[in-house]
Amino acid sequence: MSNVLAVMPEIVVTVVATLVLLVDTMLPRRAERGWLALLTVAGLLVALVSGPFVTVPGTAFNGFVQIDTFTTFSRVVFIVLAIFAVLVAPGYLARHDIPAGEYYAIVLFSTVGAMTIALSNDLITLFLGIELMSIPVYALAGMQRHDRYSNEAALKYFLLGAFSSSLLLYGFAWLYGVTGTTEFGPIAAAVARTGLADGPTLIALALVTAGLSFKAAVVPFHQWTPDAYDGAPTPATAFMSVAPKAAAFAAILRLMVGGLGPLGTDWGIAFAVLAAVTMTLGNVVALAQTNVKRMLAYSSVAHTGYILAAVAAYRAGDSAGAAVLFYVIAYGLMNLGAFACLLYFDIEGTRGATLMELNGFARQEPLGALTFAIFLISLTGIPPTVGFVAKVFVIQPVLDAGLTWLAVIIALNAVLAAFYYLRVVVHLYMHETDERSAPIISERMLNVSLGVSALAVVVLGVLPDGLYAWALQAAAPLVLR
Amino acid sequence: MSPSNILTILIVIPLLGLIPLVVFWRSRRAAYQVAIVTTAVEFVASLVMLARFKVGEAGFQMVESAPWLPSFGIRYELGVDGISVLLVVMTTLLTLISVVYSSGGAIKERVSEFVAAFLLLEVGMVGVFLALDLFLFYIFFELMLIPMYLIIGIWGGQRRVYATLKFVLFTLAGSLLMLVGIIAVYIASGAPGDRTLSLPLLIERRASFALEFQVWVFLAFALAFGIKMPMVPVHTWLPDAHVEAPTAGSIILAGVLLKAGGYGFLRFALPLFPYGTQFWLPVLIFLSVVAIVYGAIVSAVQKDLKKLVAYSSVAHMGFVTLGIFVLDLQGGVGATLQMLNHGIVTGALFLLVGIQYEKTHRRLIADLGGLANRWPLYTVFFGVFTLASLGLPGLNGFVGEFLVLLGAFSFNPPTGPGGLFWGPVAAIGVILAAVYLLWMFQRVMFGTVREAYRALPDLSPLEVACAVPLLALTVVMGVFPQPFIAIIEPSVARVIALATGGAVAIR
Repeated sequence: MSNVLAVMPEIVVTVVATLVLLVDTMLPRRAERGWLALLTVAGLLVALVSGPFVTVPGTAFNGFVQIDTFTTFSRVVFIVLAIFAVLVAPGYLARHDIPAGEYYAIVLFSTVGAMTIALSNDLITLFLGIELMSIPVYALAGMQRHDRYSNEAALKYFLLGAFSSSLLLYGFAWLYGVTGTTEFGPIAAAVARTGLADGPTLIALALVTAGLSFKAAVVPFHQWTPDAYDGAPTPATAFMSVAPKAAAFAAILRLMVGGLGPLGTDWGIAFAVLAAVTMTLGNVVALAQTNVKRMLAYSSVAHTGYILAAVAAYRAGDSAGAAVLFYVIAYGLMNLGAFACLLYFDIEGTRGATLMELNGFARQEPLGALTFAIFLISLTGIPPTVGFVAKVFVIQPVLDAGLTWLAVIIALNAVLAAFYYLRVVVHLYMHETDERSAPIISERMLNVSLGVSALAVVVLGVLPDGLYAWALQAAAPLVLR
Repeated sequence: MSPSNILTILIVIPLLGLIPLVVFWRSRRAAYQVAIVTTAVEFVASLVMLARFKVGEAGFQMVESAPWLPSFGIRYELGVDGISVLLVVMTTLLTLISVVYSSGGAIKERVSEFVAAFLLLEVGMVGVFLALDLFLFYIFFELMLIPMYLIIGIWGGQRRVYATLKFVLFTLAGSLLMLVGIIAVYIASGAPGDRTLSLPLLIERRASFALEFQVWVFLAFALAFGIKMPMVPVHTWLPDAHVEAPTAGSIILAGVLLKAGGYGFLRFALPLFPYGTQFWLPVLIFLSVVAIVYGAIVSAVQKDLKKLVAYSSVAHMGFVTLGIFVLDLQGGVGATLQMLNHGIVTGALFLLVGIQYEKTHRRLIADLGGLANRWPLYTVFFGVFTLASLGLPGLNGFVGEFLVLLGAFSFNPPTGPGGLFWGPVAAIGVILAAVYLLWMFQRVMFGTVREAYRALPDLSPLEVACAVPLLALTVVMGVFPQPFIAIIEPSVARVIALATGGAVAIR
């Protein structure tokens, strides 16, 4: 029974997903499905509340599952991101004739997978979580069945995702071969004894690093990102760009910082270099984009680099883990928000918004433009927004770990990023439409959820202490001792 | 509103002004009324602060301190001393004048947005001069950025987008490296759990900053402040930003934003990194003198009136940095006075150039001429501010530059050229300033007036009302500088003592 209670939030989300599918099939074909979103959100809220009430810290399922402050924290992150992703979707789904019930169910199943990653204490649970998180997202990318870009996105994402999963699994096999166990604690103990002395450990480490880097879209394993993000339906992109990335970093924290922590000196420097390359390449390529959706796709690669920099600074202790968690939340809010703002421009016959199509938006929809601008300023990392505080929290452990060069690269990258983010603001506020202004899509649910999250971006930027203190607690159990 | 937290009140007032602004968002008149009332109240509040300021004390006064980010060791800490108190009053005055002038018809489009940007800008500007925690300072420092970005980009001239992006990217490039420096200071300030960014605490602990560390972190700070000032060779954003900015934006940009750089040197860089200061001193002195001479020469050849005033700012800011880095009491006081004087005089010049442009729609000096015949009142104002800008004795510009030059002449470094070299070179800048400003005045005001300008009216009562307070300050500070020096001097002495390694009681 305690086993069941330990994973209660995951069970609730699974049940809600099934329920949504069932209700969806029972509804008549042409029925209004907007309220399915509310059912989904209600279910997610139940899961959110059930966490702290039911589960107790400790291991369950014979050590396959670990419930600690990190698990609790991550559950909240994934559920909040899922709620946000569901709330911005209904209008788009109705306009593009995408089956709403399936969409919500897929988001929920993927969320269960992400939550499973956060509670894994074993390679098998971890792999289960990663696959459960990834596979629904492949389907999500291809939800727009008659759109060839959507098909391209799904296929690319699926093939490269499957490839990376197999790399990861192969790495797990080597790891098992080297250590003789699949549980993180004993793995940590075993690699602490042997170090990287022998070839097989090196192969295992390389495969695992590459596999997880694929999932997090680290350069040079990022190639799937722009096409997958660009082609997928916009609300799906918003979800895809944050939740799988957050989940990938949960996996990295659990496995690399936890299980393979003793090898930190080896993967730490690799991650530091990868982080520098990732943020620089992401930003430089984003500079050249004129399509905002594609630009945001590349910029999300750059943000992977910032988060990875905090991982590379694992030596700084809990503040590094806390930086990863804080940045993941900040990134989730602002990036999901920025992609969701593109829903305003979901105009017939256009593929995402080009910069030109944003012209004059601030006059047509002042509040929408303001929220978009807040997300962009936060992504740039200018105070008083959560994006700024998140960067500070990342730079601190990076400097603390002695990676001064990486901190300087982060700062210079932020200037690059400022150019293309603020160029969007230029088009929103400083250019006028020359032709008759295209209609802007404005829905209440979209407006409200964007408004709330923009407010959260500012409030967390001014008062980040509670969240950061919580992130510090959540990071504490990561290092296995 | 208990008077014990007057500094917090100063930061909150512009934010409170946003509430009625949002309520009456669609009314242009209401927006201006809200703006004028808010900035006027803010100005009065800053006068209350000035009245409560105890002249003669060197340390921080009216200090407020509360934990803000306890798990990171960051405090919400505010305070004023002789260096910042007058800058705050100048800021609130210039903001009020800018808003009043804009309400006269200079800004007609998207007024509510304009007012919102201006109020946020004021929060950032006042906060920069009040913050005693480096983290808080950085937040206010950056808070000034986005509103000014919008002010130039939305209400600016032809090439406004280019100018505003250039302004933002230059500023960010400097300030983000400073952020890395700030976090490095944070880490160097103590063991984990005991770290701080509170200035008084950091000064106590600065002995633990290694020499090499000071060299690099000072460089990061100097880059941010140097770009903001701006110092040569990172000044190139300034002419573009000034030329494209609307008049109110130019006034604030020249009057206040540039001061954040010089103030940052005095407040943070010098006291925290005495060795770093000494290390970079020769470079900074050299760049200051280059700025004075180069700024003057480039001003002389400008065809565009607004650009001329912008480049003259580069020269004037050269005096500020020269005064700061000779590490001499007279130089430091002169630099602080020069910041105030430049804010008042150049702010006024931008105001007058803006008024002139509104009427004639010409900024090229060649297109103007003979205005003195048509606009006697305008000519008097313009003439006085021009003379103040070139440092005529009896007006405020003279006092600051004179003190800076005194400091420069007595500059005596262990190696390299001393004050007897730098002083005369800087003095050439004063002469050049007289040349280009008087020449400009002659070309704009005298000669034959163009037919098209004959019917244009002289200054309106509103425009006079905007310029008169600045004129009064120009004269008063020129004739009676002593009260101002008395406020500034003790705090500057403390900073100089800290920068030269002397032992001085903290607080």
